[in-house]
Amino acid sequence: MIYQQMAIPPRSEHLWRYTPWPRIHPSVTDEVPIADDVIFSLEGGAALEKIQQPEDSFDEIARAFLQAAGGSYNRLVIHEEPEPIHINARASGHVAVGHLDLEVKGSAVVFIHISGEPEWVGLHITGKIHPNAQLSFGFINELDSNTKFLRCEDWMIERDSELEHATLSVGGFRCKSDLRSTLNGTGASIRQSVTVNAVGARHEDEHVEIHHLHGHTNSDLVMNSACAGSSHFIGTGLLTIAEGANKSDASQVFRNLLLSEKARAEAIPELEVHADDVSAAHGAASAPVDKEQMHYLMSRGLTPEESQAMIVNGFLLNAFSNLTNKHLIEEMRTRLTVHLECELKR
Amino acid sequence: MTDEAQDVIGDYRYGFHDPENSTIRFDKGLSEQVVRDISELKNEPQWMTDIRVKAYRHFVERVMPDWGNCSLLDQIDFESIIYFLRSSTKTEKSWDEVPDDIKNTFDRLGIPDAEQKWLGGVTAQYESEAVYHSIREDLEEQGVIFLDMDSGLKQYPELIKKYFGTVIPHSDNKFSALNTAVWSGGSFLYIPKGVSVEMPVQAYFRINAKNMGQFERTLIIADEGSSVHYVEGCTAPTYSTDSLHSAVVELIAMEGAKIRYSTVQNWSSNVYNLVTKRAVAHKNATIEWVDGNIGSKLTMKYPSVLLKGEGAHAEVISVAYAGEGQHQDTGAKVHHLASNTTSNILSKSISKKGGRSSYRGLLQVSPKSTGCRSKIVCDALIFDGSSRSDTYPTMEIGNSTADLEHEASVSKVSSDQLFYLMSRGFTEDAAMGLIVNGFFEPFTRELPMEYAVELNKLLELEMEGSIG
Repeated sequence: MIYQQMAIPPRSEHLWRYTPWPRIHPSVTDEVPIADDVIFSLEGGAALEKIQQPEDSFDEIARAFLQAAGGSYNRLVIHEEPEPIHINARASGHVAVGHLDLEVKGSAVVFIHISGEPEWVGLHITGKIHPNAQLSFGFINELDSNTKFLRCEDWMIERDSELEHATLSVGGFRCKSDLRSTLNGTGASIRQSVTVNAVGARHEDEHVEIHHLHGHTNSDLVMNSACAGSSHFIGTGLLTIAEGANKSDASQVFRNLLLSEKARAEAIPELEVHADDVSAAHGAASAPVDKEQMHYLMSRGLTPEESQAMIVNGFLLNAFSNLTNKHLIEEMRTRLTVHLECELKR
Repeated sequence: MTDEAQDVIGDYRYGFHDPENSTIRFDKGLSEQVVRDISELKNEPQWMTDIRVKAYRHFVERVMPDWGNCSLLDQIDFESIIYFLRSSTKTEKSWDEVPDDIKNTFDRLGIPDAEQKWLGGVTAQYESEAVYHSIREDLEEQGVIFLDMDSGLKQYPELIKKYFGTVIPHSDNKFSALNTAVWSGGSFLYIPKGVSVEMPVQAYFRINAKNMGQFERTLIIADEGSSVHYVEGCTAPTYSTDSLHSAVVELIAMEGAKIRYSTVQNWSSNVYNLVTKRAVAHKNATIEWVDGNIGSKLTMKYPSVLLKGEGAHAEVISVAYAGEGQHQDTGAKVHHLASNTTSNILSKSISKKGGRSSYRGLLQVSPKSTGCRSKIVCDALIFDGSSRSDTYPTMEIGNSTADLEHEASVSKVSSDQLFYLMSRGFTEDAAMGLIVNGFFEPFTRELPMEYAVELNKLLELEMEGSIG
């Protein structure tokens, strides 16, 4: 469907309840701005393969908008790659949009680092993990603190393939992510973690959908957020298990750590189960920093700020506990620790 | 009963119906005139007529909800519903004076028997109005007011005017607007300061006529330091056309008061059960919703609590059974609007033979409410591949000192548990029955004994033939 013909989604759809489409759109909703390209490059400077704009049609408004806005189109096909691949996504100008298509036919570790200072950035990543392939994927958002960011991802995970997906979001002013994965074959699995450190007046809305279309598929989602200042974090999840997808195992855990009086967090982990022989569970928890932990650390000579930073670091690192790839875990941990140390020095 | 009727009714033991002997019966359909006629017929004060008309206008303007089971909701034909039907000219205080056909119905439902044995008071509503009402003398002497809502409005207009619609305004949702426009019957219960009503009081709602709409309105006020347990039961005959039950229930617990509201909803599978239930808990007050949903075609019911006073507590225990052609869309909402408020929500559901159960909940902590604690647990069992279970919880946390937990799981009956019981001599059906009763046990143990036994029987009936 063409974006201009689409109706603005109502707030009764939980996807748009806390960050309505007009709040994340770069201007007024009936406009499609002229977008600059998000420049994708491999670490070391090599460019990615550019492709023509595909003639895809989307029913979902954010994807349709990114399609209408254009921007850059790139593709990366990976057969087997023992060393991690780092892709830098650099955004500049007023409004920047990029599309990246990944196809994985072997085993690979891919990181995307997005940075830049435009007012608005849109990113659409599509990926296909072929049968028996494995991808460990890390996404690090280090955009400027005044940037609005819209990110959509669509992953197709085929028979006996595996996706490990980690997000570290520490940049941007208002961010909306809509990450969707489909387990499209028996034995497919996904382990996903989302880590958000929200400070100042940041607004971060992370939506994760995982669809089990076949039996013997596994999913594991962990979403941890630490909210300070007057920040607002929204974590929504939709986990569906289709009819006949028996022996599926699915779990979602949402945890929020609230660090200041004005910080807010919402958690909506939804489940739709159409099969009987499955194991599906979700949990959500929200709490302040444990006073006993603070006392313990301060009694050992740390300042209150250092103590809190250490607790936040431990809490956020825990989101990566469901990952197994050592490159992925190490990179995400390092990035998070560096970010928190910088925050502490400010 | 004909074979055809039996086919429709199936295992639903309350699916019988009596001949309709109404004294007043409105034509099908809804208009402002119907609303005014209901009010005039009841000889209501002008302020109530005005509220009704205002609510009707809101109902007409308000669109149907665009969430939930929209395809079933869209099938409701508001023009084919009878909005008022009077079966008895007055509310009797003695069972002997209730018209025979109605009395027979309630005898078959076991109400007079229950009243003698373990109830503090009873209201029996048949179609639109209460046909029988009684309260124990000692409670009356202590100042407890327990009336059907129509009598309450006549005898205590000022009290009703003060509280009516304060917890659930007519503009809350389309169905609360409809109820406010055409309400009839329901209970009015007032417990004075410091009075503790030891025995439960009960209301029993029965729809008998075809295409009937039942819109009872219940208002319970527990004054400071008082406590009460109110029990509600409901059944209807099984017809091939649909009936609508759209109640509004408002509870107000003043400082230190406690209200427990228990429901065992067993409407037949042709009834739309679209109910708005909400409570306000003031300082150190406790509200408990104990909610069982076994029957109906579509139930949309989310008992809510506004924790407005410091130290208030909410407890919601709900179970739902969704069988063939049923959708139980239930849940709970708790708003922590004051500091140091606490809440517990436990939801359990079973989906079987293509049935769908959904938990839809909201937990909200306002920015100024410090030290709030809440725990939500949702468990679901699915019996076959054609059934469905959904969980839609929402947690909105506006204060950093809140301590909240939510957990949910969906699974099938454990083969280990079945094996264990069968190895000790139980048949597969009996073992399954035991497991299901155990699954619902946190709910049944909160019910009065007679209700718990009845619920277990109902579940056994529903679970028959679940194996193989």
